Amino acid sequence: MRPITNPLARIGVHVFLWAVVLYSTAPFIWTILNSFKTKRDANAATPKLIFDPTLRSYADVLLKSAPDNGVLIGFGIFAIVLMLVVVGFLAKRLPLPTKYVYWGIAGALALLVWGLPRVVKTGEIYDNFTNTVIIATGAVLISVAIGSVAGYALARYTGISGIVILLAAIVFRSLPRLGYILPFYQVGQDTGLWDTYWLVIIVLVAINQPFTIWMMRAFFMTVPREIENAAMVDGATRFGAFWRVVIPVVWPGIIATSLFMLLLVYHEFILISILTQSKQTLTVAMAQFIGGVSVPGSVPRQSAAAVISVIPLVIVVLIFQKQFVRGIGAGAVKG
Amino acid sequence: MKRTTFFQFTAPSNIVMIVLLIFPLMYAVWLGMNFITFRTINEPVFVGLENFRTVLADPAFWASLRWTLIIVVVTVPIHMILGFVIALFLDQVAGKMRAFYLAAALIPMIVVPLIGTIIFKQLFDPPGLVAWAYKTITGNLFIFNATSMKALILVHTIWIITPWAIVLFFAGMQTLPEEQVDASSIDGANRLQQIWHVMIPHLRPLILLTLLIAVMDMFRLFDNVFVLTRLNPVFGADTVMTYNYRTATVVNRLGLGNAVAVILVIAIVVALIPLLYVSYRDQIKAR
Repeated sequence: MRPITNPLARIGVHVFLWAVVLYSTAPFIWTILNSFKTKRDANAATPKLIFDPTLRSYADVLLKSAPDNGVLIGFGIFAIVLMLVVVGFLAKRLPLPTKYVYWGIAGALALLVWGLPRVVKTGEIYDNFTNTVIIATGAVLISVAIGSVAGYALARYTGISGIVILLAAIVFRSLPRLGYILPFYQVGQDTGLWDTYWLVIIVLVAINQPFTIWMMRAFFMTVPREIENAAMVDGATRFGAFWRVVIPVVWPGIIATSLFMLLLVYHEFILISILTQSKQTLTVAMAQFIGGVSVPGSVPRQSAAAVISVIPLVIVVLIFQKQFVRGIGAGAVKG
Repeated sequence: MKRTTFFQFTAPSNIVMIVLLIFPLMYAVWLGMNFITFRTINEPVFVGLENFRTVLADPAFWASLRWTLIIVVVTVPIHMILGFVIALFLDQVAGKMRAFYLAAALIPMIVVPLIGTIIFKQLFDPPGLVAWAYKTITGNLFIFNATSMKALILVHTIWIITPWAIVLFFAGMQTLPEEQVDASSIDGANRLQQIWHVMIPHLRPLILLTLLIAVMDMFRLFDNVFVLTRLNPVFGADTVMTYNYRTATVVNRLGLGNAVAVILVIAIVVALIPLLYVSYRDQIKAR
């Protein structure tokens, strides 16, 4: 649709969209404000918009006990992260191949996450964060790996069994999870897999697999058959053609699907809370605040925990916002 | 692609789905025919179809189904209209500002539902903004009762699911050919007529898809109702999912809970048949 040209109407458009921004973010702004308040300010009879901000609640949530040289350590971590960001931005100009630079940054970040609890006494939320990273990475990688091979085959095969699998996937995508809790719990107990990363990851892969194969299939449908046929004429096997020729073309689709998978895994609450006791993710750990909502002193801490839990996901999704939106479009318009 | 290659390529995915989706579902059906509590979790007692009879005779089950249907009927159309209008406005802006508006509009969907609901509820608990405004205006303390809780669930559900509709419609609008719109404006159509006669027909498949996804997802609504009501029966705001959860955990009848889940599975599959038939026809036509 062509944009409106009338200047008054254009102002109207922006006013409306600012109202949408306010409508979508107001609760979070309120929570972010709360997270910087003292208990007194947070419980004031008249809500305070202007107050002395404090990082007290963040320290309470993140740390078991404050370290003696906290400022120095905080500064050190900040410097390391800043350095990695700068290296990331300069990656293309460095004499090393760009791929290795990114791998190096990822490795350094992993090392930082691993090493931090050995320097400072971190709070429980930090373990939840590492659990989330491990479970999300595992589930996304496995799910997209097996889902893209299957999605490719479903996009190319014309037999009846392909349609049967796709229809079964629709059914399983829409089924409630509660029926699965008891079977998964019992089988987990019997096999000794209960309370391990493996069970959580593989269950999340399975429960979201119907969605993954549909979405990957939609992306493979947009790839013309000619390019892989040409490769196969040149002597490549079906898998060789898929791996060398098709995958590089659907890379944006793989990123979009991975993002969605990340969102689904990060949002999962019931299944993870049943399948594990010691490997809880951030989302499951936040459930402890459901009961304590109206305990007066807890508001700033609860807010800080909520902000910390949500921020990593928001940052990742907003970085890849373009692929995310295009991914929904491609998945929806095609499928 | 040959049949054998197809099965080789789909094997890992199929094995995962058969082992972890189909087998557990069959096991769930069997568990639904047993009397199980947390204490006797490893010694189920077979009771046949008794559990299913109990559920279908329970007025609370039918009340939860009725409330779920009300949620569907209220939230689905409102969120689609809201999403369509917001997408229309987003389509009017370009560049950096569009990315900013879109990012902000997506926030309710990115934020984890459980945490987002805890955050939302802060506004209504005593030191919160809405609770304060209510007290200032009416002079009474804001206390949740059945009506206000149900209203809040409806509002919050719309708030969570609208971003999906925004993104879907927005993506669809990007594929609208400009020539069609221009042709209609040469014929003298104004903007509203263009939306009604050109854009909406173009988006029809997408509108149908959004509708179906939303209806299916509303039957799985759990996290936000769970957090808002904390399963307090005072509100009478059980959806089918929270009813199911309550039966299993609070009432401590795990077998009965599985029977509820199985009944819901059957109901959903039956409700899906038209959609399955349409996709089957589409797939056959497309090959």
